[in-house]
Amino acid sequence: MERFDLIVLGGGPAGYLAAERATAGGLNTALFEKRALGGVCLNEGCIPTKTLLHSAKLYDHALHGKAYGVTAENVAINHAAVVERKEKVVKTLVSGVRGKMKACGVTVIEASAAVKGKTGGGFIVEADGTGYEADRLLVATGSQPVVPPIPGVKEGMEAGFVVTNREILDLKSIPQRLTVIGGGVIGLEMASYFSTAGSRVTVIEMLDKIAGPTDLEISLLLKKEMEKKGVEFRLGCRVTGIAAPRVEYEMGGETGSVEADMVLLSIGRSPVTSGLGLETIGIYTERGAVVTDGNLRTNVPNVYAAGDVNGKSMLAHTGYREAEVAVNHMLGRRDHMRYDAVPSVIYTVPEVASVGETEQSAGEKGLAFKAVKISMRHSGRFVTENDGADGLCKLLVEQGSNRLLGVHLIGGYASEIIYGAAMMIESHWPVEDLRELVFPHPTVSEIIREALFAY
Amino acid sequence: MAKAVVMPKAGISVESCIIGKWRKKAGDAVGTGEVLFDYETDKATFECESTADGTLLEIFFEDGEEVPCLTAVCAVGQPGEDVSGLRPNASQEAPLPEQGGTASPAPQGLDAAEKPPLRNTGDTGGAGVSPRARDLAERLRVNPENAVPTGPRGRVIAQDIQTLAESLKTGTGIGGREFGTPAAAPKPASAPGTGGERSYTDEKFTKIRSSISAAMHRSLSESAQLTHHHSCDATAVLAYRKECKAAESLGVGAISLNDMVMYAVARTLKEHPTLNAHMINGDTLRLFHGVHLGMAVDTPRGLIVPTIFDADQKSLKELADTARELAGMAKSGSISPDLLQGGTFTVSNLGSLGVEIFTPIINPPQVAILGVCGITTRVREGVNGVEAYPALGLSLTYDHRAVDGAPASRFVQALCRNLEQFPLLLAL
Repeated sequence: MERFDLIVLGGGPAGYLAAERATAGGLNTALFEKRALGGVCLNEGCIPTKTLLHSAKLYDHALHGKAYGVTAENVAINHAAVVERKEKVVKTLVSGVRGKMKACGVTVIEASAAVKGKTGGGFIVEADGTGYEADRLLVATGSQPVVPPIPGVKEGMEAGFVVTNREILDLKSIPQRLTVIGGGVIGLEMASYFSTAGSRVTVIEMLDKIAGPTDLEISLLLKKEMEKKGVEFRLGCRVTGIAAPRVEYEMGGETGSVEADMVLLSIGRSPVTSGLGLETIGIYTERGAVVTDGNLRTNVPNVYAAGDVNGKSMLAHTGYREAEVAVNHMLGRRDHMRYDAVPSVIYTVPEVASVGETEQSAGEKGLAFKAVKISMRHSGRFVTENDGADGLCKLLVEQGSNRLLGVHLIGGYASEIIYGAAMMIESHWPVEDLRELVFPHPTVSEIIREALFAY
Repeated sequence: MAKAVVMPKAGISVESCIIGKWRKKAGDAVGTGEVLFDYETDKATFECESTADGTLLEIFFEDGEEVPCLTAVCAVGQPGEDVSGLRPNASQEAPLPEQGGTASPAPQGLDAAEKPPLRNTGDTGGAGVSPRARDLAERLRVNPENAVPTGPRGRVIAQDIQTLAESLKTGTGIGGREFGTPAAAPKPASAPGTGGERSYTDEKFTKIRSSISAAMHRSLSESAQLTHHHSCDATAVLAYRKECKAAESLGVGAISLNDMVMYAVARTLKEHPTLNAHMINGDTLRLFHGVHLGMAVDTPRGLIVPTIFDADQKSLKELADTARELAGMAKSGSISPDLLQGGTFTVSNLGSLGVEIFTPIINPPQVAILGVCGITTRVREGVNGVEAYPALGLSLTYDHRAVDGAPASRFVQALCRNLEQFPLLLAL
């Protein structure tokens, strides 16, 4: 039986980065991936959606350049071409990961693997009838879309009327009417793309706000901007059944429905923990997610779990960092996973980016804070590039220490500014010290400086 | 005639240097250009070469001493030559540079900008801290008094400051910083063994370890605890567990042997209330009306004992579900402190780790604790001769100040009987 120092289950962001770091640290590593290297992020998530959204942004800018003195005729968006480009980008990145794995000396086995148990010699993993042994395991099997037991969903999916992010990214043409169930990050980004590309989009969300745990004021601004672009929102609506072409819902006792040519199911994702043989070694899971500690250890010594599978923060970049912390622990190096400054971005137009506590989460934790809120129009560059539009920058400052607890932005470039905010939070530097930083002018990032001085 | 070798002037603004290590000793032959000793300024380490040929006659300053630049450090000449005229007049310890801050005017001739910040080298004891180490300590914001010196004569040198800084990275903040308590004094560090010592690493006790440490010691030193070892025939419980596993769909598949033991303990204690009690004030036995079982859980952080409240009121499945939930919370470090107190009796199971007999320590103010050991195969005389049976080890520790041996043994006997007739126990 082939023996390894580490077996990684799953070739997504957490898995492949862990394999890279592990081999760099001298651990002989095998990585099992049953579908495609790069996981959901590269193939059906982060990367393909950003490719689509960039095309939509270019189209949108071309259509609405008049205020900036730019007009264009016969501007068109060819969805098939957009998708073709997407495939090309994905292919390039996937082969990049493959190449990296090869260069690092990771043994990649493209098969479905399951844990068989533990012997004196180590953990046994089986794939395609062959057994492999390892001293350590890293579970990085990611997550899958939640498919709710709503009548008609299963049949809808079989018929291709109801799709998840995986299928919708492969569509060759735009549906005339698209209904998105779930107003979280994935639903909003897809609503943004398809609406710009020409679909009539309706977003149905169970809660009375969109964008999940995002700051309320920012979610309201985002909703307004998306409505301006033609997206319809039905909030506080719970889907009760699907029968093509109708999606039925109930709202505060009343019933309603919307007709569509396609339905995107994006109500959330759940960790993939079944069918992997985790119970053969007694891995403790809670609500379907593997339970991990600050070093990504599970309850079983020498078994770690990083990425979506532990359900802590289901973002690719969290998976990257968790993979590193886990590998550092294996190598005996000091490290610790922190979740209090993980940025999150919604790549709609306008972009939304946040890091740290929201007013709501800080309140729930009983933290004493003061919120500073200013309009993006305090940034010269924002005004230059956003004719007539507005944005928001909000800082949460802890009382006593005066350090930042949270930063929330809605406006162009927010995604590229937020890493700086994350660093401000991690550093624990108080507002007085942060004011000594020099920001480039004119940039939208200066809005953070404005907010620091508004405190 | 003997010649003096002086401490070189290592820079326009360097006033004195510290001798690191002598490479030659008195009586050695030395030639011009040969290295006599290392010396250190606050910026770097250098080697001092002999400026004369001959024999090293006398060393005026030893390893670790601070010597003003251009002062004679040793004499080189022919054996027998007089060196008294070469000895520096000043006392053995080098004069300290002027103490003072930026208020003192820069001496004439020196560019004020080049003058290094004046340093206080008035150390309280030992051979002190080298200027380079002090400079580094200032930059790294560590207290040199906490460094373990490895320099000559117990001097703290730059490397010791590096070691100290690395050892302080014990926090969970970025780069190992501690953000928990602001303005906390840097903790003293232990450098890994150097030179000829065997190497080791010191790990300061975590809060949880310290509290377990204190509690265990207190329990043993303040009580009169002893342990009785029993075993019972585990046939019935093993068969019952098999049945549960087969009935997965009823949600009982995960019921463990420990769950069953805890169930039996909770029920048996109702009949033996003196063991379900606390010892209060050294003179009172508090008999609880309900059974609140403490369940020992091994977690990555250490031993945690959550409480299953009203264990005697729960069905076997309810007990098992509660136990699993608490264990999960304890292991993931997310258990509420409310669930870690209020126990009236504790069960500690080490059976899965191969323990056959042990002496668990009581969790005060409880008066007893049951250790559950592994199942071993024993033999006994049966009707048809010797027969083998699975034996479950049970070790009861009790506090003899509150409970006598006979009642304690009767409790375990009853517990064994209940376990041996487990399905009947469920009926009651």
